[in-house]
Amino acid sequence: MSSIHTFQIELVKAFASFTSVGAFMHTHWGWPATESAHFIGLSLLIGTLVPWDLRLLGVGRRIPLAAAHQFVPWVIAGFALTAISGVMFLMAEPSEYIYNVAFHFKVLFMAIAGANALTFYLTIGRRTLAIGSNGDAPRLAKAMAAISLAAWIGVIVSGRLLTFYRPGWCEGDSARVVADCVLPRP
Amino acid sequence: MRESPSFFAFPLMLSLHAIGMALAAGINAALALRLLGAARAIDVADLQRFFPMMWIGFWMNALSGVVLLIAYPTKGLTNPVFYLKLTLIAMAMVCSRALTRRMFAVGHAGGRAPLERRLAIASLICWSSAIIAGRLLAYTYTHILAGM
Repeated sequence: MSSIHTFQIELVKAFASFTSVGAFMHTHWGWPATESAHFIGLSLLIGTLVPWDLRLLGVGRRIPLAAAHQFVPWVIAGFALTAISGVMFLMAEPSEYIYNVAFHFKVLFMAIAGANALTFYLTIGRRTLAIGSNGDAPRLAKAMAAISLAAWIGVIVSGRLLTFYRPGWCEGDSARVVADCVLPRP
Repeated sequence: MRESPSFFAFPLMLSLHAIGMALAAGINAALALRLLGAARAIDVADLQRFFPMMWIGFWMNALSGVVLLIAYPTKGLTNPVFYLKLTLIAMAMVCSRALTRRMFAVGHAGGRAPLERRLAIASLICWSSAIIAGRLLAYTYTHILAGM
């Protein structure tokens, strides 16, 4: 048994331990209500992120960068709503996600988006936010804005693929890891 | 498309529908939030620059929505929630259009604030309700295909 597989089993156990969340999710309207929150959060996240990223890329140049950046707390609010509802899905059906390759890609794209944003604030963030009306963002900031938009498209697409890709239960030994963990369930 | 040999045809349409939703509902929500006090440093009229993305999202959804309906016509057309969703989108677009006409007009002085605030709240409620109705479609259908 590989160490990744052991880690996956521990993750499933950890998420499954929140049994009251699981019970709520399996009530009649629990799952659709949480999905609605997930999609409303997604719209808030993307709708406020797109103006900020597009301003970095040069759209709406009249807006000072610091002004456009005032949408970012709303991006974080949208992310918080999707993250909380997303973790609730995980607590209710952990094995549907932890062993799902589409979910692995979704987490990867979120990690890219997060690392990209963190790098922005740790490097050229301060300098970029000082740019006023009609100013042009540094080329590096533009590249980061493009990476951000691409990563979020990746998050949405892999999120939609999640429900079409049902992996095996992944409880075999390492010799069967491809058959049990990667190939779709028969 | 339902019987398409491509494993990805249906999820691709759903992905386009989710991205379009986020752009259409999200950018309209950004305008509504601005009118309700968010990101005050942005001149409201300058938000017009981002509205082509809202329209791209809207048409992405109209087209992918038609394709999804063609794939499962009975599933949507026999479900009252489907008509509720279309009505909510129409109401949301009326609110959003009323707002953009006022806010992006040349020489807009920022007057009539109470009406604009009410329209912004109505816009947020309609878009959220349209998203909820869309999600409920997956749970409330009675016939997935004719005869089933």
